[in-house]
Amino acid sequence: MEKADSKSRILVEMKQVTKAYASRKKLFTRSSPQVLALNSIDLSIAKGEVFGLVGQSGSGKTTTGRLLVKLESPTAGEIFFNKTPISQLKGPGLKTYRSRVQMIFQDPYQSLNPHLSIAETVLEPLIVQKIGTPDTRTEKVVHTLDTVGLSPGEAFFNRYPHQLSGGQRQRVAIARAIVLEPQFIVADEPTSMLDATIAIQLFQLLEQIKETFGMTFLFITHNLAAARYMCDRIAVIHDGHIVEVNTADNIIRHPEHPYTKQLIKVQPGFKYTR
Amino acid sequence: MQNKYFVSRFYKGWQIFIENPLGKTGVIILSVFMIMAIASFFVPLIDPMYDPMTGIDPDIKLSTGPGLTHWLGTDNVGRDILAQLLEGAKVAFIVGLSSAFFSIVIGTLIGMIAGYTGGIIDAILMRFADIIMVLPSLVILLILASLFGQFNIWIIVFIIAILRWPAVSRVIRSQTLSLKHRPFIEASRVAGASHVRIVLRHIMPNVLPLAFLYMTFRVTSAILVEAALSFLGFGDPSQVSWGMMLQWVWKSGHMFQAPYWLIPPGLCISLLTLAFYMLGRAMDEVLDPRLRKEGQTG
Repeated sequence: MEKADSKSRILVEMKQVTKAYASRKKLFTRSSPQVLALNSIDLSIAKGEVFGLVGQSGSGKTTTGRLLVKLESPTAGEIFFNKTPISQLKGPGLKTYRSRVQMIFQDPYQSLNPHLSIAETVLEPLIVQKIGTPDTRTEKVVHTLDTVGLSPGEAFFNRYPHQLSGGQRQRVAIARAIVLEPQFIVADEPTSMLDATIAIQLFQLLEQIKETFGMTFLFITHNLAAARYMCDRIAVIHDGHIVEVNTADNIIRHPEHPYTKQLIKVQPGFKYTR
Repeated sequence: MQNKYFVSRFYKGWQIFIENPLGKTGVIILSVFMIMAIASFFVPLIDPMYDPMTGIDPDIKLSTGPGLTHWLGTDNVGRDILAQLLEGAKVAFIVGLSSAFFSIVIGTLIGMIAGYTGGIIDAILMRFADIIMVLPSLVILLILASLFGQFNIWIIVFIIAILRWPAVSRVIRSQTLSLKHRPFIEASRVAGASHVRIVLRHIMPNVLPLAFLYMTFRVTSAILVEAALSFLGFGDPSQVSWGMMLQWVWKSGHMFQAPYWLIPPGLCISLLTLAFYMLGRAMDEVLDPRLRKEGQTG
């Protein structure tokens, strides 16, 4: 009974997912060498959970995020969302999936189109998904901008990205991600380009969003401290392998894998809190 | 209110543009030609004999030099050269701008499609562009004109456009390639936007300035091709153009007898193409800040 219950609460599941990138094919060689970004990883994220994915650059953590939002497709394995496999999704099915899963990108300076105003940027998902009428959409955008702390929303409507600070831009990017009220958000190092005080504010914002909307997050970061602050559970990824999954506290207090121990060791601050 | 940003950006761009000596000179020359082109509409209204094509001065049987009634003189049948020159300015603008416009429309579309889709479509489109790029447009036009007789001016415009898009599409393609993987495009994909929407809404505004820059260079080449074609006798015979004027000078044997007839159209062709070239160079500076710095230090 209890087992069935925990199963039904799983929102996202990755089974034996492998992602290989082919290096550029040379003219006369038949097989092209491959780079394994992910090597048959298993992951399951429960509904309403903030799941952290921690690893160094090149470990495959961003690839995981991109696979989940279907910016890329796995080479092998399957990803389930609400127990439905997503790799075969096309057309309307894919569009519905897109309305349920959103992403917050790393670099707020790159993730907003410089030619679109804030309103146009945040409106786009609603227009694309054909949600509401023009009036209700505008209302929704104002409301969402207020939610992410850009208030009053109307004041930001006709501004352009270059007129905003990095933190404000990232708030716009968050607004764009939550305006569809998705069930699952992949946050790919949302604060790595911002300074620490702004980062804390954004963490609080994400937490508040999680509370109000009950969204599930995959929080990708290289920063164990940030992951501990934000996440319920943390997976440590190294060279395309998930080396350890545990609750945030347990990972920090009782790391099992040598790589995790090493990560904790190089993290300033943890030495003293222990 | 919403356009305030674009107005201020346009204004800033214009400041840089007009401070550039090339841009300033280009604009001045260009406005002179524009006044000429506009004047061409009014000159025949003064007196029917000033009609560039059909207006014949009844008192004149031979080509005459500049005088009071004909400021730049007349051609061998008594038509006013200044009137022809003004009409030529209008035609040069029509030919240059419209064929440049067509070619950037084709080039931008193909460039965006090739860059955005990639793969086999990209390869096919770009090889096709390569093939057209190496075709000598003047020779092609000459062959076509000698096969099908003399063309209407609009057909010439169209053929020039068809032969001149590949360079534009190459540039637009490479720009599109660099945009394609920018996170804002991916964010739009994640939101569920269609490819058409992404291309039109996100890629196009980002490549259009470049397309307009290339348009100025296309104008130059279109005017030159049309002039050469007309001079060689394959232009639109019902249409006065500077190249056509040169053709008439040559055909009527006045090449060395009537400098007042030969020099103005030649000078106008050179000056107008120069003006557009200068415009393009100055626009380049607005769009590419690296050039700006170089220009200022060096």
